[in-house]
Amino acid sequence: MSQETLKVRPTKIELIRLKSRIKVAKRLHKVLKDRLIILSQELISLIREGMSLRSEIHSKITRCEELLADSLMLTSPLIVKSFSRARGEETEVVIGTRVVAGVKVPVTEVSRRERSYDPSIYPLTLIEAGKCYDEVMKDVLRLAEIEESILLIGREVSKVRRRVNALENILIPRIEATIKVLTMKFEEREREDKTRMKKVKQMLEKRRR
Amino acid sequence: MSSKEYKEDQLINYFLKGELRVINSSLPRRRKTLEELLKEEYPYVLTRDGGAHMFRRSELELAKELLQEKASQLLLPIYLELRPDLSETVAVVDDPIAIELISKLVKIERAKPLYLYPIHLSELRRRASTLFLYLISPKTLTSR
Repeated sequence: MSQETLKVRPTKIELIRLKSRIKVAKRLHKVLKDRLIILSQELISLIREGMSLRSEIHSKITRCEELLADSLMLTSPLIVKSFSRARGEETEVVIGTRVVAGVKVPVTEVSRRERSYDPSIYPLTLIEAGKCYDEVMKDVLRLAEIEESILLIGREVSKVRRRVNALENILIPRIEATIKVLTMKFEEREREDKTRMKKVKQMLEKRRR
Repeated sequence: MSSKEYKEDQLINYFLKGELRVINSSLPRRRKTLEELLKEEYPYVLTRDGGAHMFRRSELELAKELLQEKASQLLLPIYLELRPDLSETVAVVDDPIAIELISKLVKIERAKPLYLYPIHLSELRRRASTLFLYLISPKTLTSR
């Protein structure tokens, strides 16, 4: 903790001004700290969600690959290609933003128009594989949203933390130390005045006698 | 007062105002009801800084399901007011319909105003991250 003091004139007005300055500094510190807590919580939950989603995607992709391999035994790669193209056209992705304590982070929404496929052209395993890949795509988009949010929030967290630390470790202790020094000086001055007055009183009494 | 001290004073005030501006500029120009938002193709509200706050349809539907007939009265986004004058990090909700929804989402008892602590906020974020916005109470400026 810094014990440095500010270079100020030892006057009562200066002390009053310092007291009001510390009030504002503490309020700013609280505002920043609240924001830091909220952003850190958001960051931690996003990191956790991102990690679990990533492993989920890996296991889903393995399952989808198996389904695709099964369907390729029943149909030609050309049909698989035309099927995947048709499914892609039915997907709609909306990208927007949401705000978390002053930070704009992306939001994605995936919607699909489901339609029925002729099982004589497209085997059921291929349709199943298509549905599986839809799920993967949805999760990948969500993961992209999470990872971008982590980056944006992380940047803001480090910025806010720097300010909180500067206030907590430098500015507030410095003002507090200055207030302490000034208060001590005034108290000492008061004590000096009292002793002086006592002395004067004693001298006056001596003279009267 | 020397110019250096004057600058330091100004800097603290500037940062305080800046923080309030950062959080409060993302507040919506006009809040919309849940009913209005559900009718829209892409549910969103415009914010004061010219951006947009988008809602997830699944979360809107969850709110409708939880509130049932009161759903049409709910104004979104819900404001979670941060109160720096309180010693702990706490968000306050005043709107009675929002209180009902949040108490059902977070599974806490209803109270007016409703005080939400970080543990409640993380649960709320997990279940409905787009339904609410934080704001810093103007009391932080007036109670100087």
